[in-house]
Amino acid sequence: MPVYQNAKLLRLHLTERDRYQGQPLYEAVVQECRELKIAGATVLRGVEGYGDPAEIHRAHLMRHDLPILIQIVDSPEKVECLLPVLEEMLDKGLIAISDVQMIRVQKTRV
Amino acid sequence: MLAKGAAKKVTIYVNEDTQRHLNPLYQSILTFLLHKGVAGATATRALAGFGPHRQLHTPNVEALGEHVPIRIEFVESAEKMDEILPTLYDMVTDGLIEVQDTNVVKIAMKDKSAGGLKQHHIRQAGSAKLMRIFIGEADRWRGEPLYDAIVKQLRMMDISGATVYRGILGYGAKGHTHKQSFLHGSRDLPIVISVIDSEDKLNQAATVLEGMLEDGLIAVSDVEMVRLVSAPPEDTNNARLPER
Repeated sequence: MPVYQNAKLLRLHLTERDRYQGQPLYEAVVQECRELKIAGATVLRGVEGYGDPAEIHRAHLMRHDLPILIQIVDSPEKVECLLPVLEEMLDKGLIAISDVQMIRVQKTRV
Repeated sequence: MLAKGAAKKVTIYVNEDTQRHLNPLYQSILTFLLHKGVAGATATRALAGFGPHRQLHTPNVEALGEHVPIRIEFVESAEKMDEILPTLYDMVTDGLIEVQDTNVVKIAMKDKSAGGLKQHHIRQAGSAKLMRIFIGEADRWRGEPLYDAIVKQLRMMDISGATVYRGILGYGAKGHTHKQSFLHGSRDLPIVISVIDSEDKLNQAATVLEGMLEDGLIAVSDVEMVRLVSAPPEDTNNARLPER
């Protein structure tokens, strides 16, 4: 039976075009997570999607506006202190939080 | 019906020219096994050999050419074996029967009816677990990409499905940022594998994966699952019978 720890999974839904202080929002979010020493963040790019403005995000020759999903997993306390920062950064988009059981594997020490 | 896991393997050695009721004995044995619904049996003709008669059966000696050994092998469950063995014991008047414990790793059968017929599906719904595995693209396991190895391992454990996603940016246990750039030839983008199955299946998988992962994270959460699976072959046969 594997040993799980209680944790929170944060999913941020935004688009490739969203920007924060001149840089892509997803890059800014990952940078912020690093500064707050969050265990990890992964950015996935979707193929197609739509969101609040009901505009379909699709790959276009001239325009890149695909949906972006950022997944962050850490302990509930860490997520708690990250959340207000993220809320401040996103002007539109969606944040979904769910409870997860996590196993962190770290065999090589950095 | 033969399933994965513990089973019995039988090997029978007879001579090609041993007769039973005017038929070669090995043919009688195969017919009997087929009639009993054994999952499969294989008869192989040997190149040469000898038995307790201490006479070498070899095709080099013309008079003994018809007398080479035949080996019949088949694998079945222990219960089925109890049913079959007494008859085999009676049938083999000249030869040897050997039974050993074995472990069935895979039993796969291509569906012959899959040609153009509409597939029947069964809807399964209920609560399940979703497992996400966060690793790097450059992670390797015994010479192959880790994500490849994980998917193969999950498949062998009969986990119902796995999907590998490649991220565009990320960081994690190794502390360095995974990002693709023109200057960096080597690819080390983040990889997420998501797997949905029952809790005990995923617990088994997590134990194995913990050993395979060098650095990484496994996150498990509750989900409600609706799954459409193709009906097992018996069901499709029954469904098609009235058409004939």
